[in-house]
Amino acid sequence: METILTIFIIFIAGTAATYFLGKLNGVLRSILFLATLAATGWLFFTGITPESGIEFRILGITMGWGITPFSYIFAIIVMGLALLSGIYAVKAMEDEKNLNFFFANFLLTVMSMMGILFSLDLISFFIFWEIMTWSSYFMVVFTGKDVQKVGIKYILFSAIGAYAMLMAIVFIYSFTGSVLIGDFIDNFHLFDTQMQWLIPILLLTGFGVKSALMPLHVWAPGAYSNSPMSYTAMFSGALSKMGIYGMVIVLILIVQQIPNGYWIKEVIAWMGGITAAMATLWAIKQDDAKKMLAYSSIGQLGYIIVGVAIGTPLAMLAGLFMAVMHGIFKSTLFMVVGAVERQTGTSNFTEVTGLIRKMPWTFLAALMSIIALAGIPPLGGFIGKWMLYESLMGSNHYLLIIMIFFSSTAAFLYCFKFLFGFFLGQEEKEWSHVKEAPAMMVIPMLILAGFAFLLGIFPGLILKPINEGMQFLGYVSTTNRFWEMSIIFNDWGNAVVMMPIFYWIIGVFVFFLVFLTIKGYKTTRYVSTKDISTSGEIPKEHENLTFTMGFMQPFLRAVAPVMKRQIDKYYTSIGNGLEALFDFTRRINTGNGQTYALYFVVFIIILLLFKDSLF
Amino acid sequence: MVGTPVFLIAIPLLAAFLIPLIGMIWKESVRIIPGLVLAYMTVLSASLYLFILENGTYVETIAGWQAPWGIDLVFSPLTGLLATIMTFMGFIVWLYSYRFKSNVEFEAAKKYFIFLMLLVAGSVGIVITGDIFNQFVFIEIVGISAYALTAFYTGRNSAEAAFKYLIMGSLSASALLIAIIIVYAQLGTLNMAEIAANIDQMNVHYRIIAMIFFIIGIGVEAEIFPLNGWAPDAYTEAPGPVGGAFSGIVVKAGIYAMVRMMFTLFDISGPMKILIVIGLVTLIVAETSALRQEKLKRMLAYSSIGQMGLVLVAFGMGTKAGVFAALFLMLNHAIIKPLLFLSGSFLTFNTTEKYISQITGMAKKMPVVSVLFALGALAISGLPPFSGFWSKLSVLTAAADENLMLIIALVLIISVIEIVYYFRVINRLFFFEYDESVSVKPHKPGFNGMIALFILAGLILLIGFYPASVTGYLDLAADDLLNTHQYIDKVLQLGQSIIQ
Amino acid sequence: MESVGYHILGGIVTIIVAFTVGLTYMGLSRKITARIQNRKGPPFYQNFIDALKLASKESAIHHGFMQHSGPAFLMVSAILSVLVIPVLNNGNWFPNLNFHGDLIFLIYIMVFGSLGMALGSGQTGNPNSAIGVTRGLSQMVGFEIPWVMALVAIMVKYQTTSLVDLLEVQQTGGWLMFSSPFAFIAGVLAMLGMFRYSPFDIVSAPTELASGPVSENGGKYLFTMMSSGSIFAFAKLVLYVDLFLGGASNLIELLAKTFAIYMIPMLYGVVSPRYRTEQAIQYFWGWPLFFGFLALVHALVF
Repeated sequence: METILTIFIIFIAGTAATYFLGKLNGVLRSILFLATLAATGWLFFTGITPESGIEFRILGITMGWGITPFSYIFAIIVMGLALLSGIYAVKAMEDEKNLNFFFANFLLTVMSMMGILFSLDLISFFIFWEIMTWSSYFMVVFTGKDVQKVGIKYILFSAIGAYAMLMAIVFIYSFTGSVLIGDFIDNFHLFDTQMQWLIPILLLTGFGVKSALMPLHVWAPGAYSNSPMSYTAMFSGALSKMGIYGMVIVLILIVQQIPNGYWIKEVIAWMGGITAAMATLWAIKQDDAKKMLAYSSIGQLGYIIVGVAIGTPLAMLAGLFMAVMHGIFKSTLFMVVGAVERQTGTSNFTEVTGLIRKMPWTFLAALMSIIALAGIPPLGGFIGKWMLYESLMGSNHYLLIIMIFFSSTAAFLYCFKFLFGFFLGQEEKEWSHVKEAPAMMVIPMLILAGFAFLLGIFPGLILKPINEGMQFLGYVSTTNRFWEMSIIFNDWGNAVVMMPIFYWIIGVFVFFLVFLTIKGYKTTRYVSTKDISTSGEIPKEHENLTFTMGFMQPFLRAVAPVMKRQIDKYYTSIGNGLEALFDFTRRINTGNGQTYALYFVVFIIILLLFKDSLF
Repeated sequence: MVGTPVFLIAIPLLAAFLIPLIGMIWKESVRIIPGLVLAYMTVLSASLYLFILENGTYVETIAGWQAPWGIDLVFSPLTGLLATIMTFMGFIVWLYSYRFKSNVEFEAAKKYFIFLMLLVAGSVGIVITGDIFNQFVFIEIVGISAYALTAFYTGRNSAEAAFKYLIMGSLSASALLIAIIIVYAQLGTLNMAEIAANIDQMNVHYRIIAMIFFIIGIGVEAEIFPLNGWAPDAYTEAPGPVGGAFSGIVVKAGIYAMVRMMFTLFDISGPMKILIVIGLVTLIVAETSALRQEKLKRMLAYSSIGQMGLVLVAFGMGTKAGVFAALFLMLNHAIIKPLLFLSGSFLTFNTTEKYISQITGMAKKMPVVSVLFALGALAISGLPPFSGFWSKLSVLTAAADENLMLIIALVLIISVIEIVYYFRVINRLFFFEYDESVSVKPHKPGFNGMIALFILAGLILLIGFYPASVTGYLDLAADDLLNTHQYIDKVLQLGQSIIQ
Repeated sequence: MESVGYHILGGIVTIIVAFTVGLTYMGLSRKITARIQNRKGPPFYQNFIDALKLASKESAIHHGFMQHSGPAFLMVSAILSVLVIPVLNNGNWFPNLNFHGDLIFLIYIMVFGSLGMALGSGQTGNPNSAIGVTRGLSQMVGFEIPWVMALVAIMVKYQTTSLVDLLEVQQTGGWLMFSSPFAFIAGVLAMLGMFRYSPFDIVSAPTELASGPVSENGGKYLFTMMSSGSIFAFAKLVLYVDLFLGGASNLIELLAKTFAIYMIPMLYGVVSPRYRTEQAIQYFWGWPLFFGFLALVHALVF
């Protein structure tokens, strides 16, 4: 109970210390930063048990902090990723300026996310939500690139989402007289029909923005790619999950209570499906790794949203499992991009190629996370995808499953592009000096990749807390019904057993690897990527054999009609229109004294004319 | 007790008379004496305020003439709170500008500090007086000092701004006078309590006409649309701290006058459409205009106007919650907006145009001031955990209690706009590279100015993290405003008991 | 006796059978193609000779770790697919992995290889390989959609994702080819892409890309690829037989059915010129998709 308060106090003290003492000395700053994360992480993992909480009053409103089994799942993601990306950040950001600000802000974001998860009432939820918004905003603009465009877009959408949420909170408060989430859920059936529809929609708008649900996603590509990668690892991995967290609560505990509320879930699920498909197509088109991963994040969040919006036990398991997995592999990938960018100075596929021999460990981490992302067994991504498909079939969403399948197949395209773009292909002279990223950066990546592997074989490890969280939300326990430690079942009782698959895969792979290399390993020699046969000719040294421009063009040509319309452009034109309108209102104050005098007279006349209706 | 309410007005007037004389002997006195006076006023109003919180509303009659014949000063939980805020802000502005104007010559400094002091005194007068004609006089005092302060830089632009202000001020004064005449002709009294007690006897048509003229008369000071055309110019052209004083002190007095008129004088209970409509229009026009401003202070001015619109909307709901929210907003605005003006004028110190583009990358050169500016910006746009959030939240809950959904939606949309333009400035300040060719030369902020900024920032954080520190006082003030009968009783009983 | 050794042994036998059958079919297809084109063509066992020759070769050069793993990945995919698919009805002879051939798992394990191969060929730095890979992945997005629609239609109709269950269904209720005709058509059209014969041979495109992804591989590498290709082909054929033709109760029946299925893409290929990539994708999103929809509707309505 006090542990929650202690955690917050440590966070605040750590933030302040990192900021102010961090100005003195870089090492001290890093130590303080990591110590704060470690201390809070330790306290969280040892001292916090679900169902502990405190209550207090502000402005006469009762508020409470505590943790539920459901928020515990997300808290694991947040704390875990914060620790690992924190370690990564210390090394990755080494040479940047303004680091005390960066690290303090980093801690602030982590604190706000934990706060969101600890909040049992809507007001503190909203407060932490907003702290998260502006602290992440400062990270988006931290690099100083595209500040007015990307940054403002992010804060604009966040503000719209947050205020939609605030509106709902205010309605809830005035109707029930309490802001406790529990009271709200209990009393929801007393609301009138109009409110019953309005409140979930407003809340979902708020959460939809953070979880980058189309059409509220337009901030995400810019924001994800603009922040320092060590932060984006957490931004995309953990922060976006806050939207999912809220969305689950709204969809399961609140929408369930509306008569015909089923439709909200269907619409959200479809929006998730469209998000997944469109974002994947856009990801394929990107030439910048950060942008690509950003779109990929949007797409992956789309899957998660489909899962939680369908809301059957299996779908919910799938959604939450994928949320955890996405946190793991997407963070790793962003870290990989960060490492590549740090070592080469660019994150563009068209510039960097052939790093595999220079950065083998980074490549390994990237490979594992890409396999997890693509949903290929035996890594964890497969479990989530499998459960999602099965749940969609079990709940009769046939077109949605096609949509999801399309996007996850199309995702192979960008998965390959990512690995090929950075690590494979021609080894250019330009990058011959590149070295492996420092161990402090590589180890967090590898740890995360290891988790992706582990969860693929033993999904039960994370399905257990998920199951407990779902029981808290009112689901019947799914243990042994949908999952065991290493087996997953679908609605019809069919199962996939991961262990033998894993043995066979490893066995076959190792066997053939040995078969291919055992004799030749000493006798064969490595030759450069220039030493190849291109239609029987031996290419000259200066010949450019790098293939990265227009990588997926044939595919993009095939899907061009779908990608012609871009919602971003509509927003931009709306924005421009509004700015023009506001420019007009600005001109109401002409700066001319005579006009003002005229206004004065006109105002009297108007008041006199409308005195009956105004007074 | 260190004095009675009348000292709040008498001492600064006396000091204003004496300062030029003392200044002939001791030049520094023109800076120091106003500060001492303002400090005294702060202490006085604070102690009076604490006194009345314990002992109930304090009514003071001037020169032994009892109400309703004489002029009385009412120091109630509401007026006391506002007077304390105003005097305190006056002191902060003085603290800030103490060295700020050290580079200007003696004459200019003399005028500046005297008028600043009078501005505060007049505003306090508007708040604590219980007599409408007396209020009119104070409005004029404030007006005259404000014109003079606007024209402080004696350039073409500031003269023009002051002149526009003067035009609007004079027009409003005549409207106010008309209103007072109508009321006096109808009821034969100028005492607020007396008017309030007898308002039913007034012909309903006259009543509405009087109300309209009151609104127009006070509206210029309260910066309602469309009578606020002077404000952006005046805020922009006046020295930075004066902008802070305008937004922190003068507007509050204007709003108070308008609200007192509506709530007490004309004893309207329940929602007041006129305030809501005016407030909303003011809010929307001002905030949307702010989005496209190129000058920092102009943007802040529009933001200030917009906030006042929101205050009027909250008052217009006419409920306890609404009044509470409005007062909370006023309090927060009185703290935050001066912080923005003061830190903003440090940032733009070495430019006369004060374009937003000129502070590009300034955070690299003036980190502390920039952080404080950002703090103010975050707070005013209502982001938690800073003070502005709580007031915005109370406005929204008050509106939700009355089921005013449209207002909630509009207020939130406007808040989004607010966030956008403030964040544009923050971006420019922090996340752009400092560019010699665009940005102005950084100015080394003075020690006293920094103390003033830190006090304000500390208050923002205090209220943000511990809103309960002020809500109790605001609650009492809201009760006080809504309880017209108590006001009438307090003021008139005193008079009657002595007459009998 | 369900011991681990028994499983492994069964698996290895399955693999060997798959390898043999697959290579034979490939040889036969070369022969048939040649005859259609009025050539004599190699003997049907030519592929065995090729394989033997390749396996006995030694490589002199390599391009690094991923090049080694590429063929190994291919092999993983091929072997896992063949292990997951029940070769004969009622689990006769070939004990596959013990979870009844889950179709979704199958879809994923089947793409595993192409991705691994894509990575392996990526490291060689040959631009043709990369071009071939991008084409292959694009085409895969094309044909997977009608394919999955057909599968979903079947799975939903019979409320199972297990191939074994589907086989049981067919033993009592007749072949799915007749009870779900649209799914069969969509599946077969998708198969055209899956087998990568002309007109969908845009990946290797012999004259254009110099064999695409395999172009930098020789010796054992090529042998591994070739044998995984033959195993994989067998796996796919058995899958189709299991899905639509009611499986097979003995080897002879299996061979007859698989060969019949095999003729479809092969004969279609012989008479068709190569598509461009986007044409191939658009082909699959035309009629096959339409039939896929029909299959879904059919599964839901009837």
